[in-house]
Amino acid sequence: MTKIKKYFPFTRAGIMESVTYRANFLFFLLGEIMKCFVMFFVWKAVFDSSSQETLYGFSYDNMVVYLFISFLSGYITYSDGSYAIGKEILDGSVVMRMIKPIDFDMCFLFQELGNKIISFCLIFLPITAGVEIYRFVINGRLMLDIPMLLLFLLSMVLAYGINFYFNLSYGFLAFFLKNLWGTDIIKGAVVDFLSGATIPLAFMGGFGYVLQFLPFASLSYTPVMIYMGLYSPWQIAFYMSLQVIWLVIFALISKLVLKLAMKRLVVHGG
Amino acid sequence: MRKYLRLHRIFVAQDLKKLMEYKVDFLMGAIGFVLVQAVKILTLGIIFSAIPALVYKVNGEVLDAWTFNEVLFIYGFSLIPKGVDHLLFDNLWGMGYWVVAKGDFDKYLTRPVNSWFYVLTEKFCVDAFGDLFVGIVLVAYSVFSMPAEIAADINWLRLIPVAFVLPFAIMIYTSIKTGTAAISFWTKRSGHITHMCYMTNEFASYPAKIYNNVVKTIITYILPFALTAYYPAIYILRGESPWSLAVTVGVSVALFLLSQLIWKLGIRAYESAGS
Repeated sequence: MTKIKKYFPFTRAGIMESVTYRANFLFFLLGEIMKCFVMFFVWKAVFDSSSQETLYGFSYDNMVVYLFISFLSGYITYSDGSYAIGKEILDGSVVMRMIKPIDFDMCFLFQELGNKIISFCLIFLPITAGVEIYRFVINGRLMLDIPMLLLFLLSMVLAYGINFYFNLSYGFLAFFLKNLWGTDIIKGAVVDFLSGATIPLAFMGGFGYVLQFLPFASLSYTPVMIYMGLYSPWQIAFYMSLQVIWLVIFALISKLVLKLAMKRLVVHGG
Repeated sequence: MRKYLRLHRIFVAQDLKKLMEYKVDFLMGAIGFVLVQAVKILTLGIIFSAIPALVYKVNGEVLDAWTFNEVLFIYGFSLIPKGVDHLLFDNLWGMGYWVVAKGDFDKYLTRPVNSWFYVLTEKFCVDAFGDLFVGIVLVAYSVFSMPAEIAADINWLRLIPVAFVLPFAIMIYTSIKTGTAAISFWTKRSGHITHMCYMTNEFASYPAKIYNNVVKTIITYILPFALTAYYPAIYILRGESPWSLAVTVGVSVALFLLSQLIWKLGIRAYESAGS
């Protein structure tokens, strides 16, 4: 316990940082959620254009829920460790972290958890409430399923863990690449597409089926499909186990990359 | 005026030198922007593989329809004014995010040039070539692969008025960025407000008719990004709504004056954050 306890100040710092900049956060959020509303109208026109009620097993209402819940889970599981670490590596301040008796990744994790607590409080309730009201109006009955919601939360925690270690490994690449900004954009675009954040993997046919097994689907597609109740209990069990496996794999990879990187680190000034 | 043109040339040259120093950064940034667009276009392609054309329906009656090529054309066209603004005037983003908050704005006030012009032209953002490249390729591709009966509606003479309006469309982007960046003179940081307003341009990439009236009004008159994309594009394609070109000029000039006013008032209210 004392081992964990020493990281709590980082969480407190993260919370304080987020509270200070909450107005910025809200404006940023409003800007980002604009994309959901654009797609809300685009999908409406798409379903109007189709002779069928459903496309690849998705009705229009499913699609709306998918849009907003995948936005929500994308936001909550987002981790920007790669950028923060990259910056510290490039300007050399990373040495300050290395000479202290704390774990490199744990500081980032606990600090980000602080941020997450605040963003969770700010956006989880409004978005899920909005989605549930929408579903209530469309279906005439409450669709919220508490066990599913809990599984969804658990799956999001796993997704965050995978994302965290994935980004950490990626951030350590700054030790080698010395350039992160451009590659960060590339990574974002590729991950968005492969994780089903832009369009459900079900729309991609056989390719989408294969993608379900890759780590990217664990980041976004799995929690969202659980929330929507489109996975059977067996599928839930299978895909959540897959999430755990990917979490372990990425945690190990990040340790390995860090070890290799430490050998090569050259700090110019500090 | 000549002094300003010369200054602009020097700034651009400086940035190109920087570019030669960090070739990989530039390449990665440009590839990144191309990939972001590629993912969106792939998504559009997947959507359109399920439907013959995008239709606009009211009470079950089809009022308008756009083929995949037309949607691609509108989408590609939207990237051009956006890309030009990004290329030339990207520096405005920094204002609201850190320049004013850090006290770095003093530099712009102590030089014998107009502060707005200085901020505007100081940086030449080559990443924007990614957006511009994708936009031009999409427009060209959508025209060449168009079914003959749709291509027959295009009258290339319409490019002349659109070319005249294009600078005004670019100015819509620049004015919105200027006005929101200037809020930072009072609040120290306003980058997130700029971001929020700027993101409304996402609506511009698709036919404006598919939105409800509230959204349509906002993107035509308040944050008029539809005037930079859908309206000129559909005018080229079909000769629809020529009035929108006049609206573009009018709204753009009004926004420009408003943003200048905010900037001037802001500078008067500005207190340095120290250094």
